[in-house]
Amino acid sequence: MTEESLPSSPSIAGIYFALLGIATVASGLAELLLTASGSEFVYGILEIPGDIFRGGWGGFVVLSAGLLYLSGARNMVDIHQFAKVVMGSILIWIIAGCDIFAMIAESIPGGEDGPWLNTLSGFIETYAPPYSPAVLLLPFSLVVIYYVRKRVFLEGGGRNSS
Amino acid sequence: MKILLMGHPNVGKSVFFNRLTGANVTESNYPGTTVDYTKGWMKIDGKDVELVDVPGTFSLDPKDKAEEVAVAMLHENRGALVISVIDASKIERGLYLALEIIEEGYPLVIALNMRDVAEDKNILIDADKLERILDIPVVSTVAISGEGIKELVSRVKEAKPVDVDDIISNATKAADVGAAGDVP
Amino acid sequence: MKLSAEERWDLIDRISKETVTFGAYRHTLTDAIGELTIKPLTGIPIAIAVLYGFWSLFGSFAGTLCTDGFFVKFFDGYWLPWLQQVFPGQGNWFYVIMVDAGGIESGEFVLSESSFESFGVLTSGLFLAIGVVLPAIFIFYLMLAILEDIGYMPRLAVLIDTMLHRIGLHGYAIVPTILSLGCNVPGVAATRILETKKQRFIMMTLLAIFIPCGAQIGIMEEVVPDLIGWIMLYLIIGYFIFGYILNKIVPGRAPEFLIDVPPYRRPLARNIGKKIYGRVTGFFKVALPFVLLGCVIVGILYQMGVIQWLGGVLAPIFVGWFGVPPETAGPLVAAFLRKDLAVAQLSTIEMTEYQMITSVVLVSIYFPCVATFAMMLKEGWKDLLWALAVLAVVVFVYGGLIHLIGILLGVA
Ligand SMILES: Nc1nc2c(ncn2[C@@H]2O[C@H](COP(=O)(O)OP(=O)(O)O)[C@@H](O)[C@H]2O)c(=O)[nH]1
Ligand SMILES: [Mg+2]
Repeated sequence: MTEESLPSSPSIAGIYFALLGIATVASGLAELLLTASGSEFVYGILEIPGDIFRGGWGGFVVLSAGLLYLSGARNMVDIHQFAKVVMGSILIWIIAGCDIFAMIAESIPGGEDGPWLNTLSGFIETYAPPYSPAVLLLPFSLVVIYYVRKRVFLEGGGRNSS
Repeated sequence: MKILLMGHPNVGKSVFFNRLTGANVTESNYPGTTVDYTKGWMKIDGKDVELVDVPGTFSLDPKDKAEEVAVAMLHENRGALVISVIDASKIERGLYLALEIIEEGYPLVIALNMRDVAEDKNILIDADKLERILDIPVVSTVAISGEGIKELVSRVKEAKPVDVDDIISNATKAADVGAAGDVP
Repeated sequence: MKLSAEERWDLIDRISKETVTFGAYRHTLTDAIGELTIKPLTGIPIAIAVLYGFWSLFGSFAGTLCTDGFFVKFFDGYWLPWLQQVFPGQGNWFYVIMVDAGGIESGEFVLSESSFESFGVLTSGLFLAIGVVLPAIFIFYLMLAILEDIGYMPRLAVLIDTMLHRIGLHGYAIVPTILSLGCNVPGVAATRILETKKQRFIMMTLLAIFIPCGAQIGIMEEVVPDLIGWIMLYLIIGYFIFGYILNKIVPGRAPEFLIDVPPYRRPLARNIGKKIYGRVTGFFKVALPFVLLGCVIVGILYQMGVIQWLGGVLAPIFVGWFGVPPETAGPLVAAFLRKDLAVAQLSTIEMTEYQMITSVVLVSIYFPCVATFAMMLKEGWKDLLWALAVLAVVVFVYGGLIHLIGILLGVA
């Protein structure tokens, strides 16, 4: 109760995850819009997917992750708010993890007419950019682990959070 | 001798069963994975004893087919000994089933499982006192790490039928002692 | 002496007063995340994300890596050509059943190019079983075991509960349903957690009809990857429509059920390994012999002309009522024995996308596979007979309905 009634000053973490949330929402919307228009977008190391499965379904998940960040970034001391931020990161990990696993699955076999296993250069090439927004957001989402650890540490000390 | 592992769904019975018999029964983190019973053998003091992983049931008045199997299992084995597995973080519900089995006259041992979960929830249980009130062995365990399992096995032979009347009078006595202790 | 329930609770109350101390309840992060995954507003997007991950990893591992990456190459590039050469008696009936049914082009017997077309037990049969189905069920059960052990399943059950109530099942029915996506056999066994006969009957029937197993999904992923979304959609819609109808007409009660949601836990690698091992060996012992035997029987029936004859007899229904081309009659009949083989056969027939969707949906809702059939028989033959009656009606009605929808959409 007291936590909620206090005007919470925006913490560094709060600002960080709010910004990450905005970037994530933008990525999710871009994926959904591109899917709706049936096109794809590549710029530098960024490639926004536009197929129904990855862009549509996956885009919805990215959008949800962004919304979780945005709604959780306010007043992160509250465990329920913080859980939303953690969940936002978990959603990003799901999408990015699947994107990366798709690359791994592609990189190992040698292709239809090639040898059994991929050549080393072919193997490495598969991992070259461009990447999907989720993969680019991945490193930034990992920051949440730091806060989870910090929190667990604090909770272990004093047994009196919400 | 036959030993039945009984308790609510998802309290860790199958983990016990696998640990005690070396068998491979599916353990899952959701109620209702064990819908049929499994039998296996374990050794107590060098003797072979049959152990049964009974499907989870909330009470002795069955609500579904899996529970029917459980209750039938109990009633078909009048001479059996029961290890009542209780989730320590939900001890009251577990005791309900344990009492029902005690009332039917079966010798019982209680495994207060998931002590780690209870601790996380800040629930502390005085197992010794519980043991004195119920007058049967009560062992705190963490099945997945094996904590307390040895003690449980070593105390199985202390199981005996008890009369609920005795439990009621023990509880009253304990309450009196407790009240006396509170007043300086 | 026995107590009444009230006296018992009273006693428990007194005992726990003496022995249990509840400290201040601490809300841990796991608890808070647990709540997020259950509240619909956040829980539904999370469920959608989990399903996305499930599906994506399934496709990458089973499709891209295993089947396309290695098995197709092995079976088409080495195994099939080698067998075609060394197996004696090219063109005779035994060769046709075991290795390659081939084709007749301008009066001459020609060999098949791929293991999808050859339909021999040792070629298509082994390829489908080892090259397609095995990786599919492996990854399926791996992910399922992880979700199970974390404790996500009951939460999914709570989320889906309201929807399932409409069809007379409580949220827990999602567990048998999801288990069935791996294999219908454990799914049928899991219906025992449902309370009434009515619920069990509805669930078992719906499973056998509408839930494609991992083997089938793997094959659909492989041969009709672009259409699988539509096929699954039709199956899910059918699951709910016919569930709703069955709930209305089957006598009996469908009482409420309180689900006990366990806390999230860290899955143990040992336990997961054990589950996978059990299920994969189960596949080799139970499913694989059925697959190969099914291939043999289908091959023999084709050789004797039985399937062609039945196909001919039933073709008017297939063409007129379901709107699929006459060539599909053969595979649709063969699907009674082997659905996976039938889907592979269908994929080689020339037809429109919508006809393909219709025919694959028909194959999926057909008769349960032999292993499931045996399991249902074990649960009671009366229910099985009723389930089969429902099945016949559903195939006929739903098949026609899909055709009708196609006509209305102008695609059939
Ligand atoms: N934390 C914790 N988890 C446990 C313990 N015992 C069992 N579990 C977990 O609880 C879940 C249910 O166990 P299971 O044996 O399948 O329960 P059953 O339904 O009673 O057979 C599994 O995920 C186990 O890993 C314990 O002592 N502590
Ligand atoms: Mg069990």
